Amino acid sequence: MKSIIDLTDKRILIIGASSGIGKQCAITLSQVGAKVILAARREDKLREVLELLEGDGHGIKAMDVQDTENIEKCVKEIINEFGALDGMVYSAGVGTAIPLLQTKPEKIKQVFDINFFGFTEAVRQICRRGRYNPGMRIVGISSVASIRGDKSKTAYSSSKSAMDSAIRCIAREMADKDICINSVAPSMTATELYDRYIEKYGEDSDTNQDLLKRQYLGIAKTDDIANAVAFLLSPAARFITGITLPVDGGLTTC
Amino acid sequence: MTEQEKIALIEETLDLDEGTLTADTVLDDVDEYDSMAKLSLIVMMDDEFGKKLTGDVIKGFKTVGDILAEME
Ligand SMILES: NC(=O)c1ccc[n+]([C@@H]2O[C@H](COP(=O)([O-])OP(=O)(O)OC[C@H]3O[C@@H](n4cnc5c(N)ncnc54)[C@H](OP(=O)(O)O)[C@@H]3O)[C@@H](O)[C@H]2O)c1
Repeated sequence: MKSIIDLTDKRILIIGASSGIGKQCAITLSQVGAKVILAARREDKLREVLELLEGDGHGIKAMDVQDTENIEKCVKEIINEFGALDGMVYSAGVGTAIPLLQTKPEKIKQVFDINFFGFTEAVRQICRRGRYNPGMRIVGISSVASIRGDKSKTAYSSSKSAMDSAIRCIAREMADKDICINSVAPSMTATELYDRYIEKYGEDSDTNQDLLKRQYLGIAKTDDIANAVAFLLSPAARFITGITLPVDGGLTTC
Repeated sequence: MTEQEKIALIEETLDLDEGTLTADTVLDDVDEYDSMAKLSLIVMMDDEFGKKLTGDVIKGFKTVGDILAEME
């Protein structure tokens, strides 16, 4: 039987692959045939993820996206070592909560460096001639925070809205080059980010209980997000570009 | 940082007038001490003292003096 989501031998770069959603994307994409290149700062964690992948031909690359000027060098090295890309997932991100009165410009910049500038710079670098194969598909990991307001989320939400806006523009600009780009907007997902959130607020806190009421299908599993990413990267999604797909357990219906 | 400077920093963090707090002030008596104020303390502690306050530590704060004890 033919599988609709088939990424056999597609070369996919995953930035932010050392934990959480990016790690699960790596595992899921390898299960549908992709050859993945795992990137993030913690090389030891990337090696651990590499062990979990199916098939062969995968690789790792230590990379800090906060250093946006270094992204070009890293992308060039990746292309030289592994060849042109068929796709990229950008899952690097920080999920900050900072009350407005402490949201100084430098705090916003720190969040944007990773969540937004790192993303646009990585996209810019892989969209150069010779660095991608026709039909390349890119997926950014955005957040429902992109379209929902919440206390203390000025910097984080803005960075995700910026990502989604950029995606709509890049989709139009790159369509002639046969490149499609979309984002997935998860709601709360069981990763280290959620562990830190629980550590900060507590499981029984009003904040967490309110969240569970709104996100009425429960806390997402990382596979829920990775499955949507696999679909958007696959040729089955060839007619979809420039969108943000909520994967949110119903949150945005409330 | 002197105790007075630390108290001034807490007042600034909670957006309170100068001179509102003393080490003995009971936090439950401060109207402005809500969940956002607690989050503000977390951010301030990280920025100024490189300390990560957990939810449990915050729950343990009864007086301004308890916060001062963490500010080192
Ligand atoms: N978990 C959720 O509930 C949730 C909900 C909505 C959206 N999201 C979004 O999903 C994405 C992934 O989050 P997650 O929950 O999987 O968090 P996570 O487990 O903390 O993973 C974040 C990833 O980003 C990488 N990263 C962070 N800073 C980096 C840097 N400067 N350079 C390179 N890589 C960096 C981390 O690797 P290193 O530390 O090894 O560099 C890690 O692989 C984020 O963009 C987040 O905003 C998460």
